Amino acid sequence: MTIKIAQLSCGTEYSSVQYEIEKAARSVGAKIVYPDVSAADIDDAVKRFGFNPRSPQLKLMIARAAKLADGQYDADAVFITTCFRCAEAALVRNELRRFVQENTRLPVVTYSFTERLKASQLLTRMEALVTIVTRKELLARERQTGITVGLDSGSSTTKAVVMEDNRIIGKDWTPSGDVVASATHVLENALKMAGIEMKQVEAIGTTGYGRFTLGEHFHAKLVQEELTVNSKGAVWLADRQRGEATIIDIGGMDNKAITVRDGVPDNFTMGGICAGASGRFLEMTSKRLKVDVTELGAIADRGDWRNAKMNSYCSVFGIQDLVTTLGEGKRFEDVAAAACHSVAEQVYEQQLQEIDVRHPIIQVGGTSLISGLVSAVGEVLGERPIVPPDSQYIGAVGGALLSSGFL
Amino acid sequence: MKVFIDPPNSLVLFDLVERFGHEPLSTMAAIQERVDNLEVDMPPMNVTLDDVVKGLKYAGVEVPSGVRGRLALWGPMIESADAAIVMDDCPYSFGCVGCERSNLMVKYLIKRRGIPVLYVTYPEDEDQATNFVAQTKEFLEGLK
Amino acid sequence: MSEERETRLFMIAPDSMLTPDQLVRMIHAFGEEALVKETCYGCLVEGPRELVLKIRDRVREKYRNEVFTKIRAYRCSDPRRCRAQHGTRPGFAQLEEEWELLTRIHRGLDRVDAGAKYEPTPAKKRLPVNDFKKICEVQE
Repeated sequence: MTIKIAQLSCGTEYSSVQYEIEKAARSVGAKIVYPDVSAADIDDAVKRFGFNPRSPQLKLMIARAAKLADGQYDADAVFITTCFRCAEAALVRNELRRFVQENTRLPVVTYSFTERLKASQLLTRMEALVTIVTRKELLARERQTGITVGLDSGSSTTKAVVMEDNRIIGKDWTPSGDVVASATHVLENALKMAGIEMKQVEAIGTTGYGRFTLGEHFHAKLVQEELTVNSKGAVWLADRQRGEATIIDIGGMDNKAITVRDGVPDNFTMGGICAGASGRFLEMTSKRLKVDVTELGAIADRGDWRNAKMNSYCSVFGIQDLVTTLGEGKRFEDVAAAACHSVAEQVYEQQLQEIDVRHPIIQVGGTSLISGLVSAVGEVLGERPIVPPDSQYIGAVGGALLSSGFL
Repeated sequence: MKVFIDPPNSLVLFDLVERFGHEPLSTMAAIQERVDNLEVDMPPMNVTLDDVVKGLKYAGVEVPSGVRGRLALWGPMIESADAAIVMDDCPYSFGCVGCERSNLMVKYLIKRRGIPVLYVTYPEDEDQATNFVAQTKEFLEGLK
Repeated sequence: MSEERETRLFMIAPDSMLTPDQLVRMIHAFGEEALVKETCYGCLVEGPRELVLKIRDRVREKYRNEVFTKIRAYRCSDPRRCRAQHGTRPGFAQLEEEWELLTRIHRGLDRVDAGAKYEPTPAKKRLPVNDFKKICEVQE
């Protein structure tokens, strides 16, 4: 079955990226389609939508979205994309995303591209759209059964979890090095903790950047992108499997903001253009402060970001700000708080503007252990996020939970 | 003479320029060059990263890539044009002319060239259409 | 521009009595070795450039002001632009809109052929504030 992803876009063909978009879709068994509209539909759709952009291509996007909203065009998922740095398109992109979500149950992903976009950058997003459509039943799974393992090969850390009858019985993590060696190491430790042998494991699920390599090496039953797997892990850990939620995952290299309904994502964004505001930035900060990253949160909690303002969250300029601030004799605590605040602020400015935040907010991933960052996210959003136990293991838990669906 | 048409994909302007004895410079020709280039496989139009980078000649990197890619198609044509016809207030402007910022820049580049330009407005009725055709004919015949 | 091939679309003005089928049959009757594909608006003709231009001129001889034409970047049935492959591409709406305009252009061309000349029309000016004020006063 070929999954039809409806593309609502402006500028892709003239930015040399249309080919890359189609390539990404093809590689996950999907096809890009354009909802048919006639010229007469365009004015009506724009009037109904209520936002009348000057650029005609944006009007066309609106008309295409209206076709989806009215169920007059058959698609499985929606990809809304426009040029990075175009204000008019950014407004339309987000409002159309909202319009599609209000009027359909189709999963939506938005993206702003530059001419440097390559198919590989879109792969995870496209794969997630396809997973949501094709693995509905699997994603509806709420209980883990049997003995299964989840392996999450992230850009910064590799995690393993062993689960038995809906309980975590073993877990371990390590900084990512060689993909297979890191995973083998954490898997062995997790099995030791669980007190079981590898041969007792009934299924393995892999996710994260190294999922394909690990999937092949460990003969995994489930090899799935981290957007859907992490969402399942997050709602399982937070015991919020039913209803709506927003999942914020500030990762080692990119950030994810996902809205879920009954544990299944229906809209998500992943940091694309800049990795400045990510776990990596906090690692660099702690290095400069000469503290371990695990201590950074507690230090930040004792400080006040207002005393040490940082003007940039760029990993170059931001660190420079940090050096200057320290040079001015500011307290370490205030500087640590400022670093956390700047990351939270950028997540708010970039990812959270592209989704409609739903409650509760669940913060996960390794960075959710940095309490100062959780406080900063809470302050920026006006609501302290829930951080479930074992929040850094979402990917591995999701992998173990979903792979038990293959037993 | 080579006459750049704006909108650059307009059937009506393309037809009239040819009809009255000149060579229209259009998006279609620029894209044809690219789609016929068998060495590049960048469907649908073979507008490549190189093109978008060439667009930096007309607009800085802070300008969206879609604008620069379009300007890379039209800029060289405007530079080689002997004259231009610009139609304002078109209700139709989809496809390559879908970006209003690019369209504004095209009008500006035409103006900067200092070539003879005919500015016409989209005809709303038959009388206006007659006037538009007559004016276009007069302009094009005057170029000979 | 490529001298090798030219793909050209011929669009019939909506008020014309000519049908795409008649247009295609006429072009076939020219006996030229060009590919002719009937469409909802007229037809597409593809062949070496000189030949396509010859066909264009012959069509124009016969249907001077009711058939309009422009080149097309893509070959006939190019999957990159084929509607059946992905749904309509953006230029489709543009052609639809221009098609509607052709009735007026058709009549305009006829009138210009009959001797109509360009008459500059004064641009509409904004209502002077004082005049507007007077209207408002009357309304009160």
